Amino acid sequence: MATPLGERAFAEHVKSKLDATFQKINDGAPGVSGLAKFTKAWMYGREFLFPRDIRTQERKEFDQEAFKETFEILGKSKQLWRVIETFTQDLRRQLPLIDEEVLEFMRQYQETEDVTIIRRMIMRVAEWWKAWAPVPELGSPIMTAFNMEFQTHFFSILPPTFPSAFKALCASTLGQPADPEMWQTFETLGLLDRYENLVASVCYEQIEARVQETCVGEWSQPMLSQLRSWMADDIVQWMIMPYARAARNPEETRSMLHGVGSRFDFHVCKTLCDLRTTEIFDIIVDFPDSMPALIDLKECLQRVDQRSELVSTLRSLYDHLLIELLANRKRLLHPGADTKDILHQYVSMIRCLRVIDPPGVLLHKVADPVRRYLRERPDTIRSIVSSLVGEGGDLVDENEPIQPLHVQVEDYSDPNWEPEAIDAGPEFRTNKPSDVISTLVSIYDSKDLFVKELQVLLAQRLLAITDGNFDKERRNIEILKIRFGEAALQVCEVMLRDMTDSRRIDQHVQSQKPCLMHPTIISKHFWPPLQTGKLQMPGQYKEILETYSKEFTAFKQDKKLRYLPQLGTLDLTIELTDRTLDVHVPPLEAAVIELFSTKDEWILDDLSKELNVDSSAVRQALDTWVDYGVVSEDKLHHFVLLETSESGSAAGPSRPAAPRTDKSLKEFVGKPAVVENEAAPVMSAQQQEAEQMRVYWKFIEGMLTNLGTLPLDRIQTMLRFAPGYSRSIEQLGVFMEAARREGLVVNTNGLWKLSK
Amino acid sequence: MASISSRRLSKELKELNTECPAGIKLVEASNFDKWILGIEVLGDSLYKGESFLLKFTFDPGYPISAPAVQFVVDSEHEAPLHPHVYSNGHICASILGDAWSPVLSVSAVCITLQSMLASCKKKERPEGNDRYVRFAPENPKKTKFLYDDDTV
Amino acid sequence: MKVTVKNWHAIAHWRWDLGANEPENDDIDGEGDVCGICRVPFEGCCPSCKMPGDDCPLIWGECTHVFHMHCLLKWINTAASKHQCPMDRRPWVTAERTVAKSKPTQEPPLANAPPLP
Repeated sequence: MATPLGERAFAEHVKSKLDATFQKINDGAPGVSGLAKFTKAWMYGREFLFPRDIRTQERKEFDQEAFKETFEILGKSKQLWRVIETFTQDLRRQLPLIDEEVLEFMRQYQETEDVTIIRRMIMRVAEWWKAWAPVPELGSPIMTAFNMEFQTHFFSILPPTFPSAFKALCASTLGQPADPEMWQTFETLGLLDRYENLVASVCYEQIEARVQETCVGEWSQPMLSQLRSWMADDIVQWMIMPYARAARNPEETRSMLHGVGSRFDFHVCKTLCDLRTTEIFDIIVDFPDSMPALIDLKECLQRVDQRSELVSTLRSLYDHLLIELLANRKRLLHPGADTKDILHQYVSMIRCLRVIDPPGVLLHKVADPVRRYLRERPDTIRSIVSSLVGEGGDLVDENEPIQPLHVQVEDYSDPNWEPEAIDAGPEFRTNKPSDVISTLVSIYDSKDLFVKELQVLLAQRLLAITDGNFDKERRNIEILKIRFGEAALQVCEVMLRDMTDSRRIDQHVQSQKPCLMHPTIISKHFWPPLQTGKLQMPGQYKEILETYSKEFTAFKQDKKLRYLPQLGTLDLTIELTDRTLDVHVPPLEAAVIELFSTKDEWILDDLSKELNVDSSAVRQALDTWVDYGVVSEDKLHHFVLLETSESGSAAGPSRPAAPRTDKSLKEFVGKPAVVENEAAPVMSAQQQEAEQMRVYWKFIEGMLTNLGTLPLDRIQTMLRFAPGYSRSIEQLGVFMEAARREGLVVNTNGLWKLSK
Repeated sequence: MASISSRRLSKELKELNTECPAGIKLVEASNFDKWILGIEVLGDSLYKGESFLLKFTFDPGYPISAPAVQFVVDSEHEAPLHPHVYSNGHICASILGDAWSPVLSVSAVCITLQSMLASCKKKERPEGNDRYVRFAPENPKKTKFLYDDDTV
Repeated sequence: MKVTVKNWHAIAHWRWDLGANEPENDDIDGEGDVCGICRVPFEGCCPSCKMPGDDCPLIWGECTHVFHMHCLLKWINTAASKHQCPMDRRPWVTAERTVAKSKPTQEPPLANAPPLP
């Protein structure tokens, strides 16, 4: 059969190739001796590398010479790759040998949860690894291939329970003597690379546990520094093993630990910051004892940007608090109680947030709902002002330097000027000297209301002074001048001057003609509106008033006195047939009893006419004397003097009359001077405002009739359509509150409606 | 520090806001330096249906020193045609100069000028108007008027 | 019964004795008369003062017109005033205050005055 040419050529081609290969393998040796040598080397090499079962097969003697010769031959004949390939195939076949042991270890672990089993397992796997690892002389590619094959298999057989077991093993070494062998083995088997996050989480969890353990509710000492020294002492020591084994000296250790250490320090700050954020409300309540916690929080916030979390936590806390307060408002006995509480809270918050964030950005973001709430409360100004003058107020910290109210102008020429914090809103103004009072006063648009209220309060106090000592008031005004400016408090200056002048005038009058009366003579236009009345003081009082008037004019020739007859107080002695009473009463009471000294029986209306005071006020004055047991109402509107005490109580007043003789300030300026209505003698600035608001009542009434219920801001918006309306929402709030007290409207959860 | 004029003017402003004399209205008073008031002559007069603007300029010495008062002359307003009112708005009235008294006020000045217009018999410019206007200082207070008519 | 006053702390305010200029309506709540120059009540103080009363006294003219002294002096010291009373443009002559002093003794003291409507 003829062979085609192509076929022949192909055969020849194959033959020549085979020859070439043979020549290569035979290494130009005579006959096939080279081939035999190669075969021997091949067999040796394969056997040398073969991954044996270490449980049953001993390791062959390692013959340096034979090894060298073998791999020289294989290298020369360019067949080394084939050896490696064969090794890889052998390895794949042999790898499952480790499965049995690994699974057995894991089974034991699951039973006992003993992490030493995991350690033993890893060490055992490492023995397999060591037995199988190709010698380094073969170069790194084979080593890499080996590791890849080995680790892939090893990881593939590890059960899902392994990661947590491994983590537990790592954690178990905390606080233990270093175990470099184990950590080296982790590295060898690729466990550190694969489970890097697990190792780190050991630290994270340690940190979290530590914070929970030592920091919860512990606000009275700085915890951040304690946590950091704990980190340095306990954790960093441990970190050397996983992160800085290779270091040869402390310098290297430090630089190797730097990155990871800063990650863990960040975690310390974040964990503490989270904790303090959840605790913030109680921390504020606890202020100033909680100062160290705040300083910690400040430092944490500088490291961890969680300001917005803090803001939202605070905001929602305050929203809740305010909702609760609004709901509870009706139940609170004292109407001012919640205002004081919330004011107190607010002040604590100011102080706390100032520690955390001196520029005040946080406060600005958090304070809004609180400020709005306070602004709507009618007694806020009064509460603030009374604490300003040191009455029942711990709002003002005495140690705080007194500063002028901040000016809303940025002074860029100020060398201490700093740009605003980046999270400052557009409406935020850096109020540098933001002391507590400034922040409180800034609840309102202007300080005028405060000054007015201050004037009212000062008037009440000054008018109640009988011993001529008003040093405290003078001191207060001096201090307040610094805050509000001298010009704003000029009226108060005049008031104080009136006090001194009254004293001097009285000294002169008394020297001319001794008198039982010692009036306080005021400059009317500089005092808040005082209750006036047309009370006619009868009998002996009239004489006293006239005498004093005359003496006054004799002294101050171009001036005259005008009495505010219903204000002030008298000390009287009432001598009755069987008893004597010393009383301290307002003028109307004194006038009433004087009339009884001229006539034993009086009809209410006659008294009212005689004194030129309306009968309801006279009745109130009569009640005082009824309380003292001096007068009794024997029939309706008919009163008789009890010259002798009523039967059964000859020893003294028929009823105790303590409140009338109580000289406490509130009682003094509040109750006894009340004449024509229940209001205090001095109209508060807010009352005055409310008075001026009455004009708009018709509009409000119409609005609420048509629309049912409205929130304050809606009423305010709609009132803007009323002619000439220019009140602030605060003023409207005060007015609505006054209307509520009069029973005209009711307020439910911030919604106003007409009361039915 | 509030000057004398600002304290007095704030009182006047309050009054004008609550009660403006008939025919007078406050147009602009956003500071204590310059006010604009609207003025018209009520009842029968040569100026029936016309309305004018008066510009008051106050210095800190007001009311000891008189305000500078003139009619506003611009694209929309003219000075009333009157023998004592120059076409540039300057007014020859003794109470604005020689006869000024600190007890006078913005509303008193307005009322006086109102009656000056109301009593006008003939609508004409003052003699020498053009020459005066050409050389007049900007501030009418700097002009020395000769008051030939004591009624204003 | 006998009522004896041991001590009385009264409250009063002072007014200038305006003599012939005494406003008829002596209402305690009223603003009182104002100085024609500064429009501030006589019992207040003129714009250049801080303290009312003796520190910021009134001045009477023989024409019976009254002003805060400081206000009037400020006016009188200007050339424009021609030394005339701002009210009536009569030459200003300061009145002796004793002239008006005869009144209070004839008039019943104020506390005695009949109630006002």
